Amino acid sequence: MKKALALLLALTMIFALCACGQQAKSEEIIINFPSVWVGTDSKAPYMEQLIAQFNEENAGKIKVVVEEQTDYQAARDKLRTTITTGNTPDLCILDTTYDIKGYTESGKFMDLAPYLAEGWGKDFADGSYDAWSVDGKVCFLPFESAVFTPIYNTKIFADIGWDHFPATYDEFFQFCEDAKAKGYNAMGQMAGENAWSSMLWYSLIVEAIGGKDVYADGLKNPAFVQAAEVLKQMYDYTFDGALSAGAGDVNGHWLARDTAIYLNGPWWVANLYKEDNAVDGVLLADDCEVALNPTYTGGKGEGGLVTTVQAFLAAAEQSDPAKKEAVVKFIKYITDPQHVSELALSSGAMFFVKYEPSADTNLISQKLTGVANDAAYTIIHVNGAFPTAFSTEFPDAVQQLIGGQVDAQGFVDLLQTAIDNAA
Amino acid sequence: MKLERSDRAPLWAFLTPAVVLMVVFFVIPVLYVVGISFFKWNGIGPATFNNVKNFTLLFKDKAFTRSILNNVIWALVAGFIQVPLAMVMAIILSRKPKGWKFFRTVYFFPQVISGIALATLWRAVYNAETGLLNGLLNVIGRGDLACDWLGGIKTAFPAVLIYWIFYIGYYMVIMMADITTIDESYYEAATIDGATDFQQAIHITIPLIRRTSLLTCVTLASVMGLRQFEQVYMLTNGGPANTTSTIVLYMYKRLQDSNYGMAGASALILIIIGVVFIICIRKLFEGRSETMAPGKRRAGK
Repeated sequence: MKKALALLLALTMIFALCACGQQAKSEEIIINFPSVWVGTDSKAPYMEQLIAQFNEENAGKIKVVVEEQTDYQAARDKLRTTITTGNTPDLCILDTTYDIKGYTESGKFMDLAPYLAEGWGKDFADGSYDAWSVDGKVCFLPFESAVFTPIYNTKIFADIGWDHFPATYDEFFQFCEDAKAKGYNAMGQMAGENAWSSMLWYSLIVEAIGGKDVYADGLKNPAFVQAAEVLKQMYDYTFDGALSAGAGDVNGHWLARDTAIYLNGPWWVANLYKEDNAVDGVLLADDCEVALNPTYTGGKGEGGLVTTVQAFLAAAEQSDPAKKEAVVKFIKYITDPQHVSELALSSGAMFFVKYEPSADTNLISQKLTGVANDAAYTIIHVNGAFPTAFSTEFPDAVQQLIGGQVDAQGFVDLLQTAIDNAA
Repeated sequence: MKLERSDRAPLWAFLTPAVVLMVVFFVIPVLYVVGISFFKWNGIGPATFNNVKNFTLLFKDKAFTRSILNNVIWALVAGFIQVPLAMVMAIILSRKPKGWKFFRTVYFFPQVISGIALATLWRAVYNAETGLLNGLLNVIGRGDLACDWLGGIKTAFPAVLIYWIFYIGYYMVIMMADITTIDESYYEAATIDGATDFQQAIHITIPLIRRTSLLTCVTLASVMGLRQFEQVYMLTNGGPANTTSTIVLYMYKRLQDSNYGMAGASALILIIIGVVFIICIRKLFEGRSETMAPGKRRAGK
């Protein structure tokens, strides 16, 4: 009896194992997608809806599983580690511009060029992905773009007695003095965290002084030293504690209406229209105007714009052709012009995909698009123009500059040393 | 004592799993770190032999030398300020004064909160504009002392270090557990001889825990000091101007740069410093043993 039971149990187990094997074959394809477009990110609501819609349309065949990454820096670190250890996610979002060559040559990423050549490429702005191709391979598809130009609070400007945004940096500092006299912060700076705001301001100043070819000689261009001096001066007109401040502090001051000028990417525009950020029923956007980067006396920049690729879409190389097709299908779904149009409308973000802007697109976003279209030339921000070691060192270098440990030349030297050490 | 053949098999059976785990999860990774520290590798392409250049670059980098200094200070403060504080509290609470259970819970409470949460809390306390500390200074009429605690070159490191010193609960509980095993008759005899509580602590308690829980706590605290990361990362990210940087944070930043060679080299130096620290602590606590015969220790309550 016992032997019979044991035999029955063994047969049941073998049958179950076989069934599992067969089930695995017929299982839907799972696409692992670590995403930062979750939580409070302005693209989160529409992306969640879009992914749910895709999963529903492909029920039983493909399922996109989002691994939520709410901390941008932690997401970058984790992604770098997973790529290094050979566990590249099926689909990922990258904002690195400098590592693209190495990543492409590593063979760990899927080449999307053949699919783009089939006609899908027409959905993208001319030359947008070619600029990031390596030996004809397009492993990194530029998706979200960003322009960085000041937005200012017209109400505060009026209170200070200014009816226009400064056209030059000389005028800019006159405005700063007036703002300070009235008790306002002219702009928000932060040297804590990744010193994002200061990095953007530095990029703008570098562009104004050095013009479109400022990156041609790396950090050797004198514009970087001059720009450091200007950045240091700016810290006299920001809020207390900027040396240890983070993005939350800069945003908080701007939302509290005690800061006259704000600098961030277009993804932040949605926050200007949020009821939560309104005061006495007046949206912050109603008091906002888009400005251009001031010119610098004697500088080479005029009409230029600081931009970046805020997000590349990249997929892991797949050995299973079915999974490869599934991943490409999902990327095409995300980059569908109609979906991108709705994503742009809901988030305020800008994209490399050519889409018909919605008639409901908010005024600030429309103006940012106008600025982008009218730019004489574009340069990417300093973090994107140099190796990652630059952006890692930047906050410390700013702190040393502002704290007086180094002068402007010393600031640039610190950044150069960091790059050299990592090279 | 020579083991019988029959005793060896079970001995190896018990030891093997631990040895295998130690080799897989410690020895091999450490050897890997040692190896990679002599190479240049960005995590993607092939690694190239770099001789000792990674180490040369490390010691030329002021941020790294400052990190070593900070770690050494941190470890010393942990071992020789934090642990003695914990010891004092453990001795006091072991005498079971009124409300001792309440205070034991209060002192231990921060240990159940994550370091990240505590750092976030203290970041708010130190905030230059809305922080509790500056607010308090204003209330007591010393607003002139208010400053950007975490942004000041002179104030950042003390600010990061000082609040952490008072989180003594973990070491306090370890030492309390040890103190409760000391035979009560020692204290009774001392009391009859007229020894005060302070004298009993100095001549009975401390000598008896010196080579057990005190040594353990000093070692643990110093090692924790050397491993500091999350609090510094959350509060200052090593700034301003690297004044609060630690070796682990420095290593993390090199990993962010995809500079695995320098990250490995800094990890190796951290291991060496850790080993030196542990040897020094053991030497310091060496000497005549005050351990009692097993029967003399009380059973724990």
